[in-house]
Amino acid sequence: MTATQTLLAALLTPLLTAALIACFLRRRGVLASYLSVAAAAGICAFSFMAIRSADGETIRAAADWLKFGNFSVSMGFLFDGVAATMLTMVAFVGFLIHVFSLGYMAEDKARGRFFGGLSIFMFSMLGIVLADNLIMIFVFWELVGFSSYMLIGHYLDTDEAAAASKKAFIVNRIGDLGFLVGIVYAYWHFGTTNLEAMASAVAIDPGLITASIAALLMCGFIGKSAQFPLHVWLPDAMAGPTPVSALIHAATMVAAGVYFLIRIAFLFPSDVLTFIAWLGTAVAVFAGFSAYGQNDIKKILAYSTLSQLGYMSAAFGLGYPGIALFHLVTHAFFKALLFLGAGSVIHGCHHEQDIFKMGGLFKKMPVTAITFLIGVLALCGVYGLAGFYSKDAILIAGGLQSTPIFVLLTLGAFLTAGYMGRLFWIAFLGQPKSDAASHAHESGVSMVLPLVVLAVLSVVGGWIGFWPEQLGEIIRADLGHLHHAEGHDAMHHTVLILGSAAWLVGLVGSFLFYGVGAKGDALENKAKPVYEFLKARLWFDEIYGFYVAKIQQRVAVLLSFLDVFLIKGVFVRGSAGLVGLVGMCSRSLHVGNIHGYVYWFLAGFLLLWALAAGVL
Amino acid sequence: MTVGLNAFILVAGLLFAVGLLGVLLRQNTLVIYMSLELMLNAVNLALVAFSRYNGTMDGNLFVFFIITVAAAEVAVGLAIIVALFRRRQSVMVDHLNALSR
Repeated sequence: MTATQTLLAALLTPLLTAALIACFLRRRGVLASYLSVAAAAGICAFSFMAIRSADGETIRAAADWLKFGNFSVSMGFLFDGVAATMLTMVAFVGFLIHVFSLGYMAEDKARGRFFGGLSIFMFSMLGIVLADNLIMIFVFWELVGFSSYMLIGHYLDTDEAAAASKKAFIVNRIGDLGFLVGIVYAYWHFGTTNLEAMASAVAIDPGLITASIAALLMCGFIGKSAQFPLHVWLPDAMAGPTPVSALIHAATMVAAGVYFLIRIAFLFPSDVLTFIAWLGTAVAVFAGFSAYGQNDIKKILAYSTLSQLGYMSAAFGLGYPGIALFHLVTHAFFKALLFLGAGSVIHGCHHEQDIFKMGGLFKKMPVTAITFLIGVLALCGVYGLAGFYSKDAILIAGGLQSTPIFVLLTLGAFLTAGYMGRLFWIAFLGQPKSDAASHAHESGVSMVLPLVVLAVLSVVGGWIGFWPEQLGEIIRADLGHLHHAEGHDAMHHTVLILGSAAWLVGLVGSFLFYGVGAKGDALENKAKPVYEFLKARLWFDEIYGFYVAKIQQRVAVLLSFLDVFLIKGVFVRGSAGLVGLVGMCSRSLHVGNIHGYVYWFLAGFLLLWALAAGVL
Repeated sequence: MTVGLNAFILVAGLLFAVGLLGVLLRQNTLVIYMSLELMLNAVNLALVAFSRYNGTMDGNLFVFFIITVAAAEVAVGLAIIVALFRRRQSVMVDHLNALSR
């Protein structure tokens, strides 16, 4: 098979699987789950084959999809180093999460729907990764939105899941509106939406770069990667099953926004980049603070994801898309590990998610606890683990370009270690604080195995030598670029000291402050206003709630009145009434007596005569 | 002795008026029908008189057409009236008001 055929096979395998499950296997959960896992393994195999047969070459293949006169929409692959890196990550992490789901969802009633959803998600995500033009990216972008909606709402009998899935869908549509306008603008501006064609147009004439196209396309990123001000959907999305949170809301889909930025990096002028850098920095710090106000293990991880996405966009905004991709990949490893570890804990504790009701899990679930600890250390950036390399590169990039961004990102690193320490000390150490926790047990092999593999990746994923030559080219290039930047060595030392201080201070500080296996939140007990402030998450949900209920609703009522009164009442009903009135009048002329008609005929004749004769 | 054009017009006018009044006032469909024919023939009379007065054949030509059309109309009209009577046992106009119901 050629590389193109292999890619096509990787893309269509999950679609076929999803179709089979949707049509035939909805009531046969076991079969559906094995089929879906087999498809994920197939994607993995096809991806590796494609990378081997591509052998570092960029693969382009496109076919016309729709044609209207001069305008044609094509579907095609642009398989370069960035896409290969992302494809490997998505395929491999996706496969591990599929395997984990086998154990986690073993008792679920609607496994057919769940695994079908995972497969359609994999299809959509691979579409984004491989797409060669903006319109195709948008199509698959909406498809991941749909599959995210479907999987968040998996527990559809709970109000929380139903509301969260709707929220995620609607908030994403707001960002996608900007994205869609951006695509139209880009087509009008460049005459094409093909990524490479736009890149070469920009390379020939840098004057073609406009801030408005970049800003509009950025809206799509803000929605999908849950950046400020559209970040509100991600914490709520944790209402979905934990493997979904790991796959979609940590490792792949939310990172697709960053990936999209990297794909179109050539379109961005420096002022939009600066804006993205500041936006990411602000989200990194804000989400870091918000995580302290959460007791739900998954919500803490969700805020951590937000914060790390902030780091990625900061790296992108600082002009290092390769480093953003680097952090994206390492983050995918350790965050998928953390979420799956949380899933294992939740599974072991019979669906208890409050960390203050756990405790003592280290003894009861040793493998989960040790792998989780590795994930925590990798996230905190402990020297030698995956997170260290990517996060330090981002901090160095920040330090070389903008001191305020550097200070804030370093603060974010301190915060990260703090809230992860809080989570780990309280949930895993000490004594069990509820019946569920005291009866906790280690999960089965299908759940533990992915944890171990991801833990290994979280350790080695940051060593750039670990990556095959053709995968890491952009990462290597940007790291080399950073390495040779002026003042790198001094900054490297500063970051090394500050980064190590961050995780040490954060972990030890949280250990001392919260205490091992604490029953209550120390911050809540000692400084309630501070805790309440952090818990309120800057009141974003309340502000949006107020806006929707009080402002948008009033406008909607006004529009509805106009619709009902003016359009329905006056125009539609009015014209019908007018015609009816004419009908009523003319019906009364219709007497049914032949003499009556003769008189009418005579009258009409006289009228015509009078008109013809000029009397009237 | 020659009869003047005015006399013909007068007779034709009277015949037409009789026919029109018959259509307007009589109740029996058959009589209304006869009145219609009377109006047609009043027109025929006027046309022939004009033709004679002008010494051309135009009027006469029209008369032939009118007679032909009237004959065809009688054939159809009488058939309708007979069919109507068979169905309703009445040809009085005030009974034939199904359209207003």
